Amino acid sequence: MVTSPETLAFLREVRLFSAFTDPDLHAIASRLRERTLRKRQVLFREGAPGDEMFIVRRGTMLVSKEITGKVEQVLVRVDAGDFFGEMSLLDGSPRSASVQADTDATLLVLGRESLQALTDQTPHAAAVFFYSMVQVFIERLRRSTLQVAEATRWGLEATGLDVESR
Amino acid sequence: MTERPAPAKLELLVRREDDEGFEVREVGSAVGFINSRPHRIAPESFELAEMTSRVAGERRYILKNTVTDRFLLLTAHEKFLWELMDGRASLQELATAYVLQFGEFDFEIIPSLIRKLQRAQLLTLQPTSRLRRALAKNRRRRIVNAVETTLFGLERIVVASREVQPFFQRLHRWGGFLLFTWGAAVACAALAVVGALAAAALWHDLDGVMAGFGGSAVRAIITVKLLFFGSLAAHQLVHGLACVHYRRRVREFGFTFLHGFVPTFFVDVTDIFMTSRRARVVTAVSGALVHLVLGAVWFIAAARAPAGFFQAFATASGIIQWQALVVSLYPFCFIEMDGYHVLVDALGVPTLKHDALRYAGKLLRGRARMRRGREAALWIGYVVLSALSVAAFVAFNVWVIVKATA
Repeated sequence: MVTSPETLAFLREVRLFSAFTDPDLHAIASRLRERTLRKRQVLFREGAPGDEMFIVRRGTMLVSKEITGKVEQVLVRVDAGDFFGEMSLLDGSPRSASVQADTDATLLVLGRESLQALTDQTPHAAAVFFYSMVQVFIERLRRSTLQVAEATRWGLEATGLDVESR
Repeated sequence: MTERPAPAKLELLVRREDDEGFEVREVGSAVGFINSRPHRIAPESFELAEMTSRVAGERRYILKNTVTDRFLLLTAHEKFLWELMDGRASLQELATAYVLQFGEFDFEIIPSLIRKLQRAQLLTLQPTSRLRRALAKNRRRRIVNAVETTLFGLERIVVASREVQPFFQRLHRWGGFLLFTWGAAVACAALAVVGALAAAALWHDLDGVMAGFGGSAVRAIITVKLLFFGSLAAHQLVHGLACVHYRRRVREFGFTFLHGFVPTFFVDVTDIFMTSRRARVVTAVSGALVHLVLGAVWFIAAARAPAGFFQAFATASGIIQWQALVVSLYPFCFIEMDGYHVLVDALGVPTLKHDALRYAGKLLRGRARMRRGREAALWIGYVVLSALSVAAFVAFNVWVIVKATA
């Protein structure tokens, strides 16, 4: 449980909680756990089970997807104030990507039971929470479309393939 | 005018073998491009004919895709590159061969030729070596699978840095430049003479000298080899210093497993191709001279030492260093070492090994007739000398080991 004034001040800056009232914020803060990671420490690997989401309080996390053997593509860096891991929290599926600390990092952890309690006890706050989450999903979808385009451009440039003149 | 976007980059995370850590590497599409290995279509699918222009008197070539009936007009320079596109040479190697052949480099010629060839469907791109393709084909066999996995793992062990230019510049400034003075050349020659005399003196009683190993000959030879391995790093460092001496850039220095199984240090001094032939020769030869100097020092130390283990150890080290000198500078051994690069530079035949092996292979399979002329003589000469040299090298090593362990 992390309900210190610093944590509350931090949560107010987090987009997911931007529309939360102070009592709602207290309610969610009381359900968060703090976890620290050293630089390069792996939080979880792709395919692992999971039912928690994470909010980055300090540092940067690196999200990557396996390509071959020990090589993975870096999908995104998650900085302070942003969150990740929500897919497994919502649908219970295995982790879709690996996440590791790019720097020393501190995370706030929200488990499924806590989210359920939040939905039951403060439905208004939960609605704002999910609405903010959907907005972030849309942004991520747009970004992945750009990433696919960039990867395709990389392939074309690396092979010297001249598609225009074909 | 639309501004061209910057080359695309992929950010890759590479995990360490122990799974405990990782590193993030940014790979530009340009790196992928220069490492790609263009492969022309099968010989029965194209025809190449020479055509002399009546106007300019220049040689041109018509390249026809017999499957699609598409034609391309190639210059002599483009034909040179086309003939190298056998799926084994990377674009970087093609560019090097081009510079050696024509003494200049046109930065646009390779990408534009690749585009032309792709449009005419005359090219496929093969990213892997023949060994890797053969392994991939037989992956179902457990042993092949194990070999492939091991090679894949070893190949990824690369301890290297691309930010080495400042290091080499400092090394050069702090005394490295002395290696490229007449004084150093004279000292090297003098050391070689004294070392040769010492080696000759040891040779007269080689049996007695090697007997100094006593009962620990195998262990001692392994130690000699390991010690020698350190001198390979010095060899590469001197190549880098020479490159910096001629005001060119050292692109990379590090350690890797060549082809997945040969542990080696390496230095990327390809920038030297942008300067004079003298600079190229000095860069190639200077690295090998490290073995001359070290070998001479070992022989002198051995000659002065009393009979015993140290004398045997120093003699074996001297032999292995001078053997490395010969292997580095001797061009006829099927390996593209320093001496080979000097030879092809002097002959103006940058693809000598490649062409010679192809020609010899066709002769052996009865698919080609004996040809006359300088080119064919060079090919045959290269293959025969290399085959004899490799046989002699193997025999010599067997003899040394037998001698040491007898």
